[in-house]
Amino acid sequence: MPNTQQYLTEYDGISKTIQMYIDGSKQGKSELMRPAFHADASFFGYAGGQLAVGPAFLFDWIDKNGPAPKIEPRIVSVDILDSIAMVRLEVGGWSGKLAGSDVRMSDLFTLLKTPSGWRIIQKAFHWHA
Amino acid sequence: MIVLAARPAVVYSSTKVRSAVRNTPQKTLESWKQIAAYLERSERTVRRWETTEKLPVHRREHEKQDTVFAYRHEIDAWSRLRVKCPIELSLDDGVVLPANPHADNTYLTEHDAITRIVHRYIAGCRAGEGEVMRPAFHPSATMSGFCQGVEYSGSIEHVFDWINQNGPAPDINPRFARIEIVETIAVVHLEVQRWSGKLVGAQARASDVFTLLKCDGEWKITHKLFHWHDR
Repeated sequence: MPNTQQYLTEYDGISKTIQMYIDGSKQGKSELMRPAFHADASFFGYAGGQLAVGPAFLFDWIDKNGPAPKIEPRIVSVDILDSIAMVRLEVGGWSGKLAGSDVRMSDLFTLLKTPSGWRIIQKAFHWHA
Repeated sequence: MIVLAARPAVVYSSTKVRSAVRNTPQKTLESWKQIAAYLERSERTVRRWETTEKLPVHRREHEKQDTVFAYRHEIDAWSRLRVKCPIELSLDDGVVLPANPHADNTYLTEHDAITRIVHRYIAGCRAGEGEVMRPAFHPSATMSGFCQGVEYSGSIEHVFDWINQNGPAPDINPRFARIEIVETIAVVHLEVQRWSGKLVGAQARASDVFTLLKCDGEWKITHKLFHWHDR
């Protein structure tokens, strides 16, 4: 990153995108998080021993899970390399129709800087059983 | 955004064509200088490889001083074998990554398994052979990133295709900048300097961020995110 100001601008752009994911998760509305994802985004991870693949699965899951008002999201790390970035997000207190209660999830997002802002290109998750 | 069409058929055919040209048996390299140039390394390095890594070099006896020569097909065969042992790959002149049989805790085991997978990618880059790196990737892996300001995204096949077309990049200098492991998922930030090849040119630098998934006990790269730095 060339300077602090530039870094902060990019950091804020990335946080804004991650916040869309958090808002969608909290309210159980996939439409809130869809704009955060790149058109070619992919999604991978294990949920209860089953491999879940594809953003369609994620959006469907979020809608079916419904509100999870008590999630506690924390951005653990943000690494920015010019036009690409990675973010680790820890989310505690997951609840909902599919999640059950008080579940913890770790997310590793990779993002791409597009002309319309930072977009999630891949979300890998681990559901802590 | 540009999405390239998948062309796996081209991947295989271009590999075969290039191998056939390189493996012409009568082609010889007639001095340390030529052998070094062929491997794109220094004379000092290839002389060392003769003793430490059994680089196939032959000698003709003369009255004053022996001369060395090497068969290209033997050098090529040696290179291919060498890149198949990623753990023993030279990371840099004189620096050899040691195999670590003493990984005695879960973190070290996972860390080593992940770096071995990424070393397969590195070996493929060095050799210019997409097939060398293919086992490191999940079958439905994807790639995305920027090159000269243009955004690319699509199947990982484009990367294999590109690697084959770029050809060998023997001097690449990779560094693990970050490895983050969360149970079944991981990200690796790899910085690669001294990229070369037919498509790259010379002295290019790339940042890669790989996402990995541990499926059925094996780590696989599910996504390669890249940024080519402007020169």
